Amino acid sequence: MEFKELPPVKEQIMKCVRCGKCRELCPVFGEIGIESAAPRGHVFMVQMLRDGKVEPSPEVYEKLGQCLMCETCSANCPSGIDVHELNAAARAYLNDKNPNRGKDFLFGNFWTKPEMMKQSIKVASLAQRLGLQKLARNIGLTRLLPGDLKDAEKILDNIPPHSARSQLSAYTPAQGESRYRVGYFLGCGTDFLNPEIAQAAVNVLSRNGCEVFIPEGLKCCGLPHIANGKMDVARQLTIHNLKLFEKLNVDYIVTDCGSCSATLSKKNLKFVLEGTSYQEDGAAFAARVMDLTVFLVDVLDIQVDVKIDRKWRVTYHDPCHLVNAQGITEQPRELLRRIPGVELVEMPHAASCCGGSGTYSVTHHQLSMQILDKKMSNAASTGADILATCCPSCIMQLNFGCKRSNWNAEVLHPVVLLNRAYEPAPAAV
Amino acid sequence: MNNADIKKELVKMLGRDKVLIDDLDLMYYSYDSSFLTKLQPVTPTAVVLPASTAEVQKVVRLAYENDVNIIPRGAGTGETGGCVAVEGGIVIDLSRWREIVEIDVNNMQVVVRPGVIHADLNDELAKFNLFFPPDPGSSKMCTIGGMVANNASGLRAVKYWTTEPYVLGLEVVTPTGDVIITGGQQARCIKNVSGLNLTKLMVGSEGVLGIVTQIRLRCFPRPKARGIAMAVFDHLDDAPATVLEVYQAGVLPSGIEILDGSAIKAVNDFKPHINLPEAEAILLFEVDGNPPGVEYEGQIIKEVAGRRARQVEWSTEKKRMAELWEGRSITATAAARVRADGSRIFAGEDISVPISKVADVLRAIRALGEKYGIQVVNYGHIGDGNVHCAPVINPENPEEVELVKKLVDEIHLLAIEMNGSTTGEHGVGAARRGYAVLEHGPAVDYMKKVKAAFDPKGIMNPGKLF
Repeated sequence: MEFKELPPVKEQIMKCVRCGKCRELCPVFGEIGIESAAPRGHVFMVQMLRDGKVEPSPEVYEKLGQCLMCETCSANCPSGIDVHELNAAARAYLNDKNPNRGKDFLFGNFWTKPEMMKQSIKVASLAQRLGLQKLARNIGLTRLLPGDLKDAEKILDNIPPHSARSQLSAYTPAQGESRYRVGYFLGCGTDFLNPEIAQAAVNVLSRNGCEVFIPEGLKCCGLPHIANGKMDVARQLTIHNLKLFEKLNVDYIVTDCGSCSATLSKKNLKFVLEGTSYQEDGAAFAARVMDLTVFLVDVLDIQVDVKIDRKWRVTYHDPCHLVNAQGITEQPRELLRRIPGVELVEMPHAASCCGGSGTYSVTHHQLSMQILDKKMSNAASTGADILATCCPSCIMQLNFGCKRSNWNAEVLHPVVLLNRAYEPAPAAV
Repeated sequence: MNNADIKKELVKMLGRDKVLIDDLDLMYYSYDSSFLTKLQPVTPTAVVLPASTAEVQKVVRLAYENDVNIIPRGAGTGETGGCVAVEGGIVIDLSRWREIVEIDVNNMQVVVRPGVIHADLNDELAKFNLFFPPDPGSSKMCTIGGMVANNASGLRAVKYWTTEPYVLGLEVVTPTGDVIITGGQQARCIKNVSGLNLTKLMVGSEGVLGIVTQIRLRCFPRPKARGIAMAVFDHLDDAPATVLEVYQAGVLPSGIEILDGSAIKAVNDFKPHINLPEAEAILLFEVDGNPPGVEYEGQIIKEVAGRRARQVEWSTEKKRMAELWEGRSITATAAARVRADGSRIFAGEDISVPISKVADVLRAIRALGEKYGIQVVNYGHIGDGNVHCAPVINPENPEEVELVKKLVDEIHLLAIEMNGSTTGEHGVGAARRGYAVLEHGPAVDYMKKVKAAFDPKGIMNPGKLF
């Protein structure tokens, strides 16, 4: 579909009254403080692009690329503008006009092939374990990413040696009577960087009466591609994944990753699949997608009847793609409260972005760190010993934040803590 | 110097990180919230982001020596094009200069730089049991500098009035590059009648007399209690009548706000949890003070409003009060939600009329909307006669644009005819300068003489006010 005809471009630009409410909400504007970083500035620039007042140049991409797609502005816009969709549409248009070989390989090739990603990650992990950081820099994975890699590469510290996929079966039976058939959408961040989340999720689901299916050949949800202007690839990935789950006949499709569930939501799939014949399939698929904590609390109404001797002081960080994109705030907290031994303490501004946003911490490292430092200051003020969140990208960023701020807290997904509470009960995986 | 040389000199003076000179960066400063700049954005020659009086002074002196226009800008949330370089020039963006210089608790004063955000200031003052009472709907994004420039007020002007009475003194860089202190060089007093009152002259002068670089504000003790009464009306006329009756009952609320039926729908669409009752109009009465007083006045309002209203909800519960007040605050932009393919425009949005004529003006605006086939959402500060009209159109449809221009003109003329003004608090800027003579007559010539005395070369925010 032509850029000008895309629904967000056609319908939403004119709604912006430039009231400026988004300025003070935007974490990036909060650091830069100039109008080109403000969400209303992005809407304005997309309008200029649509009207041919500016050329679709790399410089325009750079301006729009400052947005980390946290959706805070979209969630709070009185005029109802989905700024992130407008921005994504413009990035795709700009990307088409300014092809970039490195980016094309990374998002058009590498990040569509889970096996290739797995092998690369394995090599990187081995290199790290051997103390060969320089080798990890040189294997090609990081070199392909734009940005200040000299510093950004440090975020990818401590890469696990084995992916979740390599440790989990495609099918895990329910312990006891089966209540639900559950498809588990194993996102890239969990699979390669946080496999313990997947192990915990499958164990908890199985233990609570769910048969768990992880489809073979599952690929990325497509969010990194949307954020980096590769909408065509995102569309292909979505259709591929739709077809995989179609065959499984599951009751629910759950994911532990806030970004994945936001990307697979009805609203976003409508955006991604616009103009294709898959819109109905997308809506039917999205209707079954659910964040893991929502599933555990609202559907399973999980009760944790185990005795725990120790106490955990836990604070919770709202991932942007749960709180802004889906309005989910209560279930993750409720799940934490139901874990015996947990004392939940709120941090100031729990819903403010951590600056991670997938590849943003690499492409805009300095800015990302400034945003992270504010988050860490708020989180550490709670005196918690566990920082919980529901997004692998946030976990990676917050882990790095703990190191930067010398705060000795453990960063984890609530389901990992829940699984830990179940110990020493026999593990299912 | 030509423009290229001016840009080079600015970079030399302030450093590259405080000067924007690339075409793309400059485009972002071609607008504010006004319908005027939505239709006609104007890109400045350069944008500077100073963070000291000395830096502002350097830029102004350069501009003065080279006859270049200077346009002060805050958060760019104004509705009149006031901070846009409509005649070209250098935009001085003061919104990054957010220093609260001093909170003088004993003297109940605060000294701030112009970029401080209104809500941030009150958050800080709350720590000392103080507050700066004017309460604009844009509290979370507008700057104190912008409020001073426009003499802004907002939801609590009924009791606490506008920004102006709270401004005790200013530091101003004049258009010739001098730095003056108004309100007394060393003064810390609250009452001060010495000399011509330049402070009063500067407040509301919309940046045509100089650039405010520091502001000394009077604060009030924070009221210990608040309550909000929401009165729901089936007939629009009953709402303004009730406002007069509440005053006649001897109550001065801290705010009286109106939302008409379409404004109610817009709020509910954006924030369903606020759940305003569907009606022709609702009134929100806020009272503040000591707890027994608040309760006493709340009951009087409840009794008086209950004579005409379908229902009256009285609440002192924090969560509900915050919801209701938020509902009113977001109306300005949420108004667009009454039409799927529409946008509210900021034009004709700020008329002020005598409170005795509010009912007449609301009826007349409704008739004008019908005449032009344009939906107009009405809301605003009914307690002081400041009515905000939000025409909702498709701004990309040229026919609708032409029609709404005529509608807006009629709204402005209506206000003047009804012994009111085209603007109660948003200012004149470039958008309403055409009504200056009609409103002020020969006094406009004297306004121009005052400006010329400050700004002999006419470089300070030209194309505004008159």
